[in-house]
Amino acid sequence: MGEHSSSADTPLWAVVELDQFRTPEQTQASQWRRSLRSASTWLVGKNSAEQQVKEEHELRALPEVKLAHLVPPIDWAPAARALAQQLKGQQAPVTFFITPPHSGHVSVVSQWAEQHHFACLPPPTLSELAEGDTQWVERCANQREWAVPALERYFLRHTQGIQGVREFLERALSGRLGQGVIGCDSWAYAYLQEVVGIEGAPVFTLQAMEGEQLSQYFAKIATHEGQSPLVYSTRTGKPVLTESATQHGDKAPNKELQRLAAHCRGHIGLAWHYWRERLREPTADDEEALWLVDALAEAELSTDTGDIATLVLHALLVHGGLDDHSLGQVLPFSHHEALNARLALQRKGIVSSSEGRWQITPLSYASVRQLLESRNYLVDPL
Amino acid sequence: MDEQQKYARLFNDIDSQAMITLGVVLLSTIVLIIVSQRGLNWLATRLHGQVRFRIFALVPLTRLLILITALAIIVPIIIEPSLRNMVTLLGALGLAIGFAMKDYVSSLIAGVVSAIELPYRPGDWVNIEGTYGEVKHVGLRTVDIQTPDDDLVAVPHLKLWDHAVYNANNGGTSLQCVASFYLHPEHEAGWVRKALRDVALTSAYLKFDKPIIVVAEEKPWGTHYRIRAYPVDPRQQFLFITDLTVRGKTVLSAAGVQSAMLPPDAALDARNAAESSY
Repeated sequence: MGEHSSSADTPLWAVVELDQFRTPEQTQASQWRRSLRSASTWLVGKNSAEQQVKEEHELRALPEVKLAHLVPPIDWAPAARALAQQLKGQQAPVTFFITPPHSGHVSVVSQWAEQHHFACLPPPTLSELAEGDTQWVERCANQREWAVPALERYFLRHTQGIQGVREFLERALSGRLGQGVIGCDSWAYAYLQEVVGIEGAPVFTLQAMEGEQLSQYFAKIATHEGQSPLVYSTRTGKPVLTESATQHGDKAPNKELQRLAAHCRGHIGLAWHYWRERLREPTADDEEALWLVDALAEAELSTDTGDIATLVLHALLVHGGLDDHSLGQVLPFSHHEALNARLALQRKGIVSSSEGRWQITPLSYASVRQLLESRNYLVDPL
Repeated sequence: MDEQQKYARLFNDIDSQAMITLGVVLLSTIVLIIVSQRGLNWLATRLHGQVRFRIFALVPLTRLLILITALAIIVPIIIEPSLRNMVTLLGALGLAIGFAMKDYVSSLIAGVVSAIELPYRPGDWVNIEGTYGEVKHVGLRTVDIQTPDDDLVAVPHLKLWDHAVYNANNGGTSLQCVASFYLHPEHEAGWVRKALRDVALTSAYLKFDKPIIVVAEEKPWGTHYRIRAYPVDPRQQFLFITDLTVRGKTVLSAAGVQSAMLPPDAALDARNAAESSY
């Protein structure tokens, strides 16, 4: 973990054991760049962008319809197939599949379970978690082959809220619940590893993608009738997608997307959000080419972010998102203080609501992770 | 007459150019010290983790280096730096220090030692002669400690010579905190131990790469439990202890575990024990 990927020749969707996960090349350089950027923003105010070949005022955001064609939602089926390959012949009573936020473990495990006729276990209710009720674990005992797509929904970080998941994992790891596959957010996994102790169970994850693989993927999803769109970088003026780059005789490694891969630590789910947010079209109607603007982190955290905001961010990550009521339960200050901190983060675009739960936005994730790591908080292994 | 000439030779002729040089050096030294001290403190207070402590440690060292450089420039301007002159000057200085300014100079020397040995540096949590708090500034003569009650206590460096300095985090980010619970003898000790461990494991302030230890000690009045754990940042220690105490009490009282009713002398002992465990 944390080492760099040695080759870009691996298939797009590779499911690997956790200790074989490698961050893309230049990940460390990307972190330094982010720190420098954050420090200079702090010292001299908002940064002016690097010199651009194409100015941003000459470009406009793409309409939703066009975006839906060029950047459709990620189809996680290939990842579910890759997971199935890894799980063939797997005899362990429990196997984990973990990914960071916005990176698909729920979809992958759900699809895998559907294909293999494994029953998805329903998560406990909030009142069961609040009271430390372990009755829901008894309900799980009826299934001999089961899947849990999102283990982060099975606990809350307080003394009552961890009793159920502890009981469930103890039974599952000892084989008393038959055989199961657990999808889990990488932050929740890191926390549960400390609280419950889940060493020994096999853990798989999606291998990080290099810039070249991102280029192939984005070209593939945007291709219609055998034609992939021309996308240029506003920073360098060079094409960024593999096929268009090859047509232009440019066979150099794709620096623009390598920067993106390093920034997202190779996680396709996060990179997809950046790609979708950064695509622009020219304001002049006679031009057809698309442009990729150079703005890696739209909502950055300042280095002087206070303790309350930091604790809120960490709690949201550990639980894979929380509603306001649950957020108040897992933090050591009053509900209104938690609400104020959450509102401030929402105004800055650091958190947003999805299905009633507040989550770190995909574009802020990299800077939030770096901030928490620099302040010695428990961080995920990916 | 001879004597007068001898002393006159100790000092150089201070002409107007020498005066200007001395003025410039003194002014530059003061400005450099102020700028470096404030700049480094300003930077360090805005940083977190180990980097913060490394920058804080540079504060007294930088001042020491500036002062040594200034002295190295000033002394040859004022006196002829020959062996005899130096011995004379140091002898005179030693006499003055010995009679009039012993403690003051002892503190200054201890300040130099503290900049090299680093028994405390800004950001450390120390206990010197019963004064516990965060080191805010390491000056030439004193170290400024801010207590949890927000008092700023100036402790002379000379305490270094003959008093123990308890440093809770020693330039790092790990500072052990202790939360005490005094329970009635009738309870399930194994359950309490697990419950208190869970209290620590579910604290938002917990630093996970350090151990959590629950210590139980039997007393004539009941059982004294201590959770020993580390917060993410030393500055969170009181919030961390409060969080452990509040949630620990909630869990224990929900399970019907009663607090011990301590006789007054035992209560005093327990308080002293808790204070000494900081």
